[in-house]
Amino acid sequence: MKKTVRLRVNGLEQEVSVATHHTLLDVLRREFKLHSVREGCGIGMCGACTVLVEGKPVSSCLLLAALAAEKDVVTVEALGRQGLHPIQQAFVDHTAFQCSFCTPGFLLTTKALLEENPAPTPEQVKAYLAGNLCRCGSYMKIMDAVLDAARRLQPANANAT
Amino acid sequence: MPSPVGRSVGMIDADERVRGTVAYALNAELPGCLTGRILRSPHPHARLVRIDTARAEQLPGVIAILSRADIVDNPALYPYFGPVVRDQPVVALDKVRFVGDPVAAVAAVDDDTAQQALELIEVEYEPLPAVFDPEEALVPGAPILHETFPPQRGAMSADIVFNPSEGSNQLNHFKLRKGDVEAGFEQAHRIFEHTFRCPPVQHVPLEPHVAMALVEAGKVTVWSGTQTPHNIRAQLAEIFQLPLAQIRVIVHTLGGGYGSKCYTKLEPIGAVLAWKARRPVKIVLRREEDFLTVTKHQAVIHLRTGVDRDGRIVARKATNYFNAGAYADISPRLIKNGGYATAGPYRIPNVWVDSYAVYSNIVPAGAFRGYGVSQAAWAYESQMDMIAEALGYDPLEYRQMNVLHDGDTFATGEQVHDMHYRELLLADAQKAIDWRPGAEAWWQRASADGDRGAGSATVSHKRRGKAITCVIKGSVTPSTSSASCKLNEDGSLNVLTSSVEMGQGAKTVLAQLAAEAAGIPLEAITVSEPDTDSTPYDQQTSSSRTTYSMGTAVTLAVQDVKRQLVELAADQLEIGPDDLTCDEGTVRTRDGSRSLSYSDVVRRSRRGNLLGQGTFATSGGLDPETGQGIGSIHWHHAAAACEVEVDTETGKIEILRFHSSCFAGRVVNPRLAELQVEGSTLFGLGQSLFEEMLYDGGQLINANLSDYMIPSFKDLPGRLSVSVLEHPSAGEVHGIGETSVPPVMPCVANALYNAVGVRITELPLTPEKVLAGLARRSEAEA
Repeated sequence: MKKTVRLRVNGLEQEVSVATHHTLLDVLRREFKLHSVREGCGIGMCGACTVLVEGKPVSSCLLLAALAAEKDVVTVEALGRQGLHPIQQAFVDHTAFQCSFCTPGFLLTTKALLEENPAPTPEQVKAYLAGNLCRCGSYMKIMDAVLDAARRLQPANANAT
Repeated sequence: MPSPVGRSVGMIDADERVRGTVAYALNAELPGCLTGRILRSPHPHARLVRIDTARAEQLPGVIAILSRADIVDNPALYPYFGPVVRDQPVVALDKVRFVGDPVAAVAAVDDDTAQQALELIEVEYEPLPAVFDPEEALVPGAPILHETFPPQRGAMSADIVFNPSEGSNQLNHFKLRKGDVEAGFEQAHRIFEHTFRCPPVQHVPLEPHVAMALVEAGKVTVWSGTQTPHNIRAQLAEIFQLPLAQIRVIVHTLGGGYGSKCYTKLEPIGAVLAWKARRPVKIVLRREEDFLTVTKHQAVIHLRTGVDRDGRIVARKATNYFNAGAYADISPRLIKNGGYATAGPYRIPNVWVDSYAVYSNIVPAGAFRGYGVSQAAWAYESQMDMIAEALGYDPLEYRQMNVLHDGDTFATGEQVHDMHYRELLLADAQKAIDWRPGAEAWWQRASADGDRGAGSATVSHKRRGKAITCVIKGSVTPSTSSASCKLNEDGSLNVLTSSVEMGQGAKTVLAQLAAEAAGIPLEAITVSEPDTDSTPYDQQTSSSRTTYSMGTAVTLAVQDVKRQLVELAADQLEIGPDDLTCDEGTVRTRDGSRSLSYSDVVRRSRRGNLLGQGTFATSGGLDPETGQGIGSIHWHHAAAACEVEVDTETGKIEILRFHSSCFAGRVVNPRLAELQVEGSTLFGLGQSLFEEMLYDGGQLINANLSDYMIPSFKDLPGRLSVSVLEHPSAGEVHGIGETSVPPVMPCVANALYNAVGVRITELPLTPEKVLAGLARRSEAEA
């Protein structure tokens, strides 16, 4: 069964016809060609398909596309439109990846973390990012990048408030 | 100009990695491309009686269904593949040999249709008795997986000795005979005999296996996430009976490989399905299917070691059974590396190894980061601590006493050089965990609470222990890498190689080496991805060989271009070539009076570009009867050290600190090297503590990331550190991609023993096994 839904992805609204059983992951890749969103496990365990829905990290493989209607969906393609986002830049500077298949998921989860908690401790970073898996094992460098990104974003956060 | 080699330059493709725009095979698209899906066997072993695809074919949107009917007696197709033995059919022919064996494939307009079509294919099976354990599979009367081998095509790799036993499940047998092992045992003061086991585990690259194929105008083109593009080309040329030149394999960056993407996996079924559909077809495996594609070898290792009165190892006999699963894949070679490795990095005058690859009805095993050495090291490094304790030696001192020195002979009879165990690796490991020789045995240490000096009323349930391990690992020898380069008329350089970028930073490191050789900035260099139509031959991106082998080939190719550059500049400047030097993108006279930029020289030459080529081939090989010869062009070595805390109530092992030391010869990019060693360490920790593929009657029961765990942020040791060690005497680059995996598992097991006196000889070290060991210990004490 197909249904027309109105999705708001990276600030752009678009009507798409989706099968009711199709996930947001399917639709972002197929209809929106957003290839930063990747299936790693298909059951919400690896975090490679993480997107932000209303600012919260969500496994897009577990969310039916139709249920994302009228909600703000953000993928990594929306970051760094003018130059890299400070979190992306920190990941580059620390080489916080190897194969980087998991990187978009880590970037978005980090963005949500730093919005909730602008100065996390290493333990808080571990706990928040525990749902994103990096099989290459780049966690040490990811930790460095996340803590560095938090420092880089501090003044901006201060200005915003 | 300062060389970029030795500097931690960031990855040259970092921008696309954080923008999410890396062109993985997963993202490859072609107009009119169909979705392929595979129907798999539900039986571990069965005769294929009947396949009826009629109902599935009638489903609207189904374009083609591939089954044995398309390939049996079809003179256009050779139905088998396999890197050593062509024993794996494109789809099942007469029988299926494991749960997950491909039986048919569907190409349809979309995934839903393809999935529906699979359900409409009717297959009748006649179940056969099955066998899952490698030792049981060798017992006379065991069910036989391959009654005969299909006729062989193509040449076997030079380093593989093939000793199958037709009519049994023995796929291959590697023999190593050094010295006189029986005489060695006779002179031994003590003999230690133990059996060690490790389970199959899965690589779990987050990007699954992907292949997209197009067959048109007599040409086969495949986009694949593979580590071995030229092997895929050769295998597809056999299947389609076409010249190599008519097969094109294109490889983009991989979302992880770790060995799982070596050799043909999805490409044959994808390409033959595209041939039948007459349209492009793309197959992306689901996670559960990736678990059914390739695994690390389950292994059983019987280890007998004799030591003299001074504690020196005088003889070792090893019998290794590697479970190859249902098809050969690369097992015939892997058992060789996993065979000679069982001697470890120790001076042992008399060594006898029988290493077997055995067919059984489980998922085929293939290359896995560590390549047989992990299984061997699990056995010999566990046993080293057992021997040291029995003889009353400190485990570190016992290793220092037996470890290889420069000029010693390894188990393969070859002299080893550039051995840095004592002064570099073991010293570094010792320092990392403050190991105090002679004072680290578990019974000498108080409980963790005691360590903290807390006068607590309750006895702590936590105990701490430490361990140090070391390993030796070869790299595939002989092997060949070839590279070419184009110096363009603006002075920029294209480096063309078939090395696969899979997160190890191959493109970056090769660019660094090319920049150093060319004397131009890193930014002027672009490194290609493999495309067998245009990039030269490379044997494989595996065996930790790319930086060394392809790095050398790239350097030679750049030197070739520079030679031409100097000759042309000499003509243009009317001066002898010996009076010219190249650096900073400029050819200069030695007195500095005149110069031409590279760009000027190429433009004036009117050649358009200068083409350079370089080939690096190593030689060696082992005698088929004795395993003596040259096993590896050079030897990779690593050590590990850790401290654990064991909760005696729950059995949980917590890694307080872990340190990996890896010898790198000369480091090209320290940060990328560190990343790989950290990654190897985590790979090892997952295998130490929880990774294990679980079977029930041949059915894999945990083929998903909920039931099969891989290390997360929460599994990081309290402290994780790595050293990538150089030595001034070693000008050569050593591979480091895999060497740090094998020492991890025995290190954790030895630290567990060191903490609570529980010896576990079968991985992984689960809380259940720890608790059972503690219970046995208290029973024995009571």
